[in-house]
Amino acid sequence: MSLTLVQVIVSGLLLGAVYALFSSGLTLIWGMMNVVNFAHGEFVMLGMYSAVMVWTALGLGPFAAAPIAAMAIATLGVASYFLLVRHIMRGPMLAQILGTFGLALFLRYAAFWYFGANFKTLPDTLVGGSFSLLGIRFEGARVLAGVMGLAITLLLHVVLTRTAIGSRMLAVSEDATAAQLMGIRPQRMQALAWAMAGASTGIAGALIANFFYTSPTVGETLAIIAFVTVSFGGFGSVLGALVAGLIIGVVESLSAFYIGPVYKDVVVYVLFVLVLWFRPQGLMGKT
Amino acid sequence: MAKTTRRMTMTGAAALAAGLIRPAMAQDGAVKIGVIYPLSGNSATAGNYSKMALEVGADVVNNGNADLAKLIPLAKGGGLPGLKNAKIQLVFADNQGTPAAGQNQALRLITEEKVAALIGAYQSGVTLTASAIAERHGIPFVNGESVAANLTERGFKWFFRVTPVALDFARAYSDFLKVQKAAGRKTDNIALVHENTEYGNSVGSVIVDQFKKDGFAVGTKIAYSANSSDVQPQVLQLKEKNPDVLIFISYTSDAILYTKTMKELNWKPGIMIADNAGFNDPAFVKSLGSQVEGLINRSAFSAGKAGSVPDLFNKIYTKKTGGDELDDVSVRGLQAFMVLADALNRAGSTEPAKIQAALKATDLPASQMVAGYDGVKFDDKGQNVKAASVVTQMRGGKYVTIAPKERATAEVILPYKGW
Amino acid sequence: MKRWLLWGVLGALVLAYPLLTEGSAVWQRLGALVLLAAIGASAWNIVGGYAGQVSVGHAVFFGFGAYSAVVVYTHLQWPPIAGAPIGMILSMLVAAAIGVPTLRLAGHYFSMATIAVGELVRVLSSTSDFLGGAQGLGGPAMPRSVFDLSFISAAPFYYIFLAVLTLLLGLTWWIERSRMGFYLRAIKDSERAARSLGVSAGQYKLYAYMLSGAFASLAGSLYLCMFGFVDPESGFGILISVKIVVMAALGGAGQLFGPLVGALILVPLEELSNSLLGGQGAGLTFVVYGAIIVIIARFLPSGLLSLLERRKVTRAD
Repeated sequence: MSLTLVQVIVSGLLLGAVYALFSSGLTLIWGMMNVVNFAHGEFVMLGMYSAVMVWTALGLGPFAAAPIAAMAIATLGVASYFLLVRHIMRGPMLAQILGTFGLALFLRYAAFWYFGANFKTLPDTLVGGSFSLLGIRFEGARVLAGVMGLAITLLLHVVLTRTAIGSRMLAVSEDATAAQLMGIRPQRMQALAWAMAGASTGIAGALIANFFYTSPTVGETLAIIAFVTVSFGGFGSVLGALVAGLIIGVVESLSAFYIGPVYKDVVVYVLFVLVLWFRPQGLMGKT
Repeated sequence: MAKTTRRMTMTGAAALAAGLIRPAMAQDGAVKIGVIYPLSGNSATAGNYSKMALEVGADVVNNGNADLAKLIPLAKGGGLPGLKNAKIQLVFADNQGTPAAGQNQALRLITEEKVAALIGAYQSGVTLTASAIAERHGIPFVNGESVAANLTERGFKWFFRVTPVALDFARAYSDFLKVQKAAGRKTDNIALVHENTEYGNSVGSVIVDQFKKDGFAVGTKIAYSANSSDVQPQVLQLKEKNPDVLIFISYTSDAILYTKTMKELNWKPGIMIADNAGFNDPAFVKSLGSQVEGLINRSAFSAGKAGSVPDLFNKIYTKKTGGDELDDVSVRGLQAFMVLADALNRAGSTEPAKIQAALKATDLPASQMVAGYDGVKFDDKGQNVKAASVVTQMRGGKYVTIAPKERATAEVILPYKGW
Repeated sequence: MKRWLLWGVLGALVLAYPLLTEGSAVWQRLGALVLLAAIGASAWNIVGGYAGQVSVGHAVFFGFGAYSAVVVYTHLQWPPIAGAPIGMILSMLVAAAIGVPTLRLAGHYFSMATIAVGELVRVLSSTSDFLGGAQGLGGPAMPRSVFDLSFISAAPFYYIFLAVLTLLLGLTWWIERSRMGFYLRAIKDSERAARSLGVSAGQYKLYAYMLSGAFASLAGSLYLCMFGFVDPESGFGILISVKIVVMAALGGAGQLFGPLVGALILVPLEELSNSLLGGQGAGLTFVVYGAIIVIIARFLPSGLLSLLERRKVTRAD
């Protein structure tokens, strides 16, 4: 294998881990209450602006920005749940698209109004610039985001499958009424899910901001990737999102390198439809 | 019945009728000019900077500027002398980056706001639909920045384009490379990276054609989707091919990613050229200008010597924006506005046909240009035949003009240094 | 008796609208824009509302319609409207090609697959020289005959759109009452139950999808005739798909007049907020637009028409 090919694959894996990072919050909500959050990209965008603000106001890097963004977006998530999502869940599935699309436009352009249309970037020195290892180039900010992507998805997976609170959340997702009879308060669990999803999305945004640009419309670019990653992996499966993210990252990198960057999306979408053809519930989703 | 007939009549006749029954002026005696720009959506940055540039232009015409008044006739203040000292009132509309919104807003500005003329609309597709409405209503449409070739090939009578087109850019790059080749720099292996929307595609293919004519071969041509999430594979491809000359045609988002990724992967060509757009965005220049030292660019803006028209306008503009200087996009909008103001002044009326005639007779000298054009004079198709671009280079976080010779303020320094 | 009177007055108002707004080209055009949006959303309603298959990729059909219209002009010099039937036939074929693999998917998976297909088509269209690539294609710049539908007034468009919408709603009304409508509702409620009753669910979903696609395509062709230009983003863009869904959902999906009501609210809201706030360049248009959608979704998750039903229920009590 040539060194360039290794570099392409490494880049793809890191990219995939980042995809998993910003998709995990989406899949959590999706699995927990069968709600698609069309404003997810805007949640990431606001996480990114949190990092920009932490840097411009305090001069601090991602280690300060990530917790602040996590808190900010978790609060936003819980507020969205109590003020909007809780109510639209009583309506048909379409109400989710309606409500969260409206929320997406509102948040996107509230950010536009407040921060302006200009693109913001953070200096690459915040996370130690870039370095060479065995002839492969790495950028600190991407490595950090990739590693955190793995860590957060695994952590969410463990919380959901191995802890008492996780099994209560799953109980609610399977049958809210039955869970209520067992003494679990469904609304509290669902609000908790929104808080967890918000926190992980906030962290994702804060980390991505270090090697990406931040603008009010950046959520659009990221949201479609998140949708594909999550349904590719199977709704509700955090591990599925991780695997799907890695696959998509590598496939994108390889196809962009060998076929041409315009066609990388084509390859990913075709692959996605094929996966659904053979596994209608996604890679690791429940039937 | 007569009313109904007119309503149903086809374009030409109705346009004439609409033109005859228009009110001359707004109530307070100001002339209204409709301005359509992308003020939201992906190109909102460009739209909002252009908006500020036009506001500067209107302010200079209405309230005057002592220094500029020595150089251009319309800067004395007090509005348009040829039009009973009418002040200019700009009415802005947001095209949201969509051809549909652009056309809807054009209609509103013409019929509700009763504007005397329109300026806009940045994206070529939006300009196409918006100017079609102006044509049907017989209202002059002055375009400052859309480069698609077909815009002036439609046989329109009310469409005037002040900006240079893609072919002019391609020639500027080609001329620049000829000089470098003569100076002994390697220019054999040329790579072109362009985004895959209308802008990148049209400019890209014109460059390839022009280069071929001039004996330069574009060996690598990489098209990518705008607003991509990642550009590492493209940069790796470039790294492998290692071209001598690299040309980017990119919007801001991708310009940022390419700049960052090239540094990450530690690769740079001997000569790097960017076709304006993203690499000229004030936000890009401010935050990443230091990472692209020595980048060659084209621009319609060249600050020139202290006290020149562009320099004076730039000072007013910089004060308004709080530090951002005039750039290619904003200066082309401003120039379009000045052309229209001049035509309105000479027309001495807000009657569309008179403005149209005045626009056709436009002949502005280079000395009055705020943009780096040789002047403004329209051909039969409404294209400014004296439009031109200057070639600039990034030096210490700012673009300086290096070609053509008569406008240059600095000598070119190569190879490309980057970060 | 009273009801007939109400309908009569409404109908007369609809017919007279362009005459009532004679003095304002903008309001006249707004009427046409509402009807055009209502055609797109009502087309979606057949498969998305009645059959409950939430497609978020109807821009594929809209785009095929718009491109068919402009392609017959560019390559054959026909009037664009002549491309409309071609677009409808093509869209039915495309719907079959997309529907066979994706309609098996349940709920959100179907929605996501349609998003992916939509994006796929958009990217491919931008690489096709036949379709003008990323630059897009323009219709006749100057009208050559009346068939180019190049009117200075929006009134002729208004009546054309009204005729098409009436036809579409009539067809939907007929389906609603037919055996097919019954099957579609059964599939929406529970596909498994419908299958166990012997309804061949896959077949009927596909019929609904193809019919829906054909009319969404017609909406695209009409759009092209009015605006005279299409590029990959304005033809196949995801925003078009989402707007179609949002419009139907806002009014009331699965109800005959739901999409029309949605269009009646959203289109004027979008145009007016843009006209009033857009010029400031602060993005306030969409802040207002988004907030209003959120508020409607929060209080009327089943759409505006559920207000009427609620009143009916209270009266029955």
